[in-house]
Amino acid sequence: MKETPRDARTRVRMMPGAITLNGFIGKDKRSLPEIIAADEVKLQSLNRTATEIAERMKYFVDASFSTFDGKITIEGIYVVETEVTRGYLQCPYSHGGKIRKSTTCLTNTKTGVTVTWTAMNIHLIEDHGFFEGKGSTYRLEPEQLVKALF
Amino acid sequence: MFSVILKDVALLSAIGVTLAVIMVIAGRLLSNYGQCKININGKRDVIVTGGSSLLSSLNDKQIYLPSACGGRGSCGACKCKVDSGGGPLLPTEKPFLSKAELAQGNIRLACQVKVKSDITIDIPASIFNIRRFSATVSEIIDYTYDTKGITFKLAEGEMIDFKAGQYVQLETEPYNKVKQRVARAYSISSSPQINDSLQLIIRYVPEGVCTTWVHQHLKIGDKVFLTGPYGDFFLRDTEADIIYVAGGSGKAPIKSILEDLAVKGTSRKMTYFFGARTLKDLYLTEHMKSFEQVFENFSYVPVLSAAEPTDNWTGKTGFVMPYFKETIRDPKNTEAYLCGSPGMINAVTKALMDNGIPQEKIYYDSFG
Repeated sequence: MKETPRDARTRVRMMPGAITLNGFIGKDKRSLPEIIAADEVKLQSLNRTATEIAERMKYFVDASFSTFDGKITIEGIYVVETEVTRGYLQCPYSHGGKIRKSTTCLTNTKTGVTVTWTAMNIHLIEDHGFFEGKGSTYRLEPEQLVKALF
Repeated sequence: MFSVILKDVALLSAIGVTLAVIMVIAGRLLSNYGQCKININGKRDVIVTGGSSLLSSLNDKQIYLPSACGGRGSCGACKCKVDSGGGPLLPTEKPFLSKAELAQGNIRLACQVKVKSDITIDIPASIFNIRRFSATVSEIIDYTYDTKGITFKLAEGEMIDFKAGQYVQLETEPYNKVKQRVARAYSISSSPQINDSLQLIIRYVPEGVCTTWVHQHLKIGDKVFLTGPYGDFFLRDTEADIIYVAGGSGKAPIKSILEDLAVKGTSRKMTYFFGARTLKDLYLTEHMKSFEQVFENFSYVPVLSAAEPTDNWTGKTGFVMPYFKETIRDPKNTEAYLCGSPGMINAVTKALMDNGIPQEKIYYDSFG
């Protein structure tokens, strides 16, 4: 699947050092549409949508903001902790808006799966269906996410 | 046949080159906007060469609107009122404007407004105090395993005038995979009375472009650029009691406020709660405790939420909120100054209000 000129420009902004230190692509050689399409297929096989996943991630982040600091247990099985650092990032798709710098770690004590995501991950999944390239620091495997979140 | 093809290719190429030349010449002629006047607040005119963004035109005149993205239209920090001459609102600006700002009709992003004619703008008077400083790293202190205090000595003859609690933007230099400069905001942690240098407290953020540069590349003697001061987080000049609450690098603006008060003097009752997880996250404890000898009514209260058995911690534990009640003597006459993450700000604000402190007396500098 070929990249459009817009995809190519986005890919440049996803490279290491442009917005974040190690970028969003990792060692993935596939085009952006290929990465997104493959994850979309995986999501379909899991009977989930990117919107559902992003909504669930936002729910846990918002809930974790109700505590001063440290971990919080939600619904009895999700142990969640969000750490926020000062400032904002721009989305590599360059459509305006700013995304908070935060990292959330969630452990599903029932399934034993732990996932870590950023506020940028939520935005990229929700608005662009992008779970990042294989090998990138914050790549999220849809299957692992579903096991952790639901 | 081959010569015909060659002739056609040559002809097309010639037409292409001619059109390109015409476009370049036309571009230069048509985009020559000449000298344009920027009227600021109806009081001051600056003359600039038209064609550049309002943000960079003002920068050229040493008027620095806040900007974290270097004018790429991605941070939304450079908002200002453009009363006339700014042209229509661009789609690139809309995502950064609130409904109220859109309804107002004259709020714009200075980086997206091109100066093509005379233009009238309205900016806060405090902007005139913002400058870009050249400085040299003069001291680096490891406060904890992930937090450093960096002192920057301003270039010869340079002086910064700021209020304790305000922040500056530190510009990185390109390094490793980072090919362009970025600017990030950090609260000033030193006293405003020291105006030929300033200190920032910078906590390492994994994947952070600027903090990685600071923690792994910056060294004593390096030249940097800082822009500021910015922000409206500063101590209100009243006689009310004060509660400070901070966590992590949120200690920076409170340190500046206390050092400022140590010079100016105060008899206000002040309590400073510093929330951390373990002993290794505490820093500057002796310095903060020393203010108990400086002020007649001050106490520094570090609180550990996840103290390790090996910490042998005998101080307060848990979160800071349960300890507010015992320190508040007149909630209506108490102000609170908070600096930290949104979670911390939310939880502390709620607890302070539950204790009767009016919301309008709770001031905060939120990381998020």
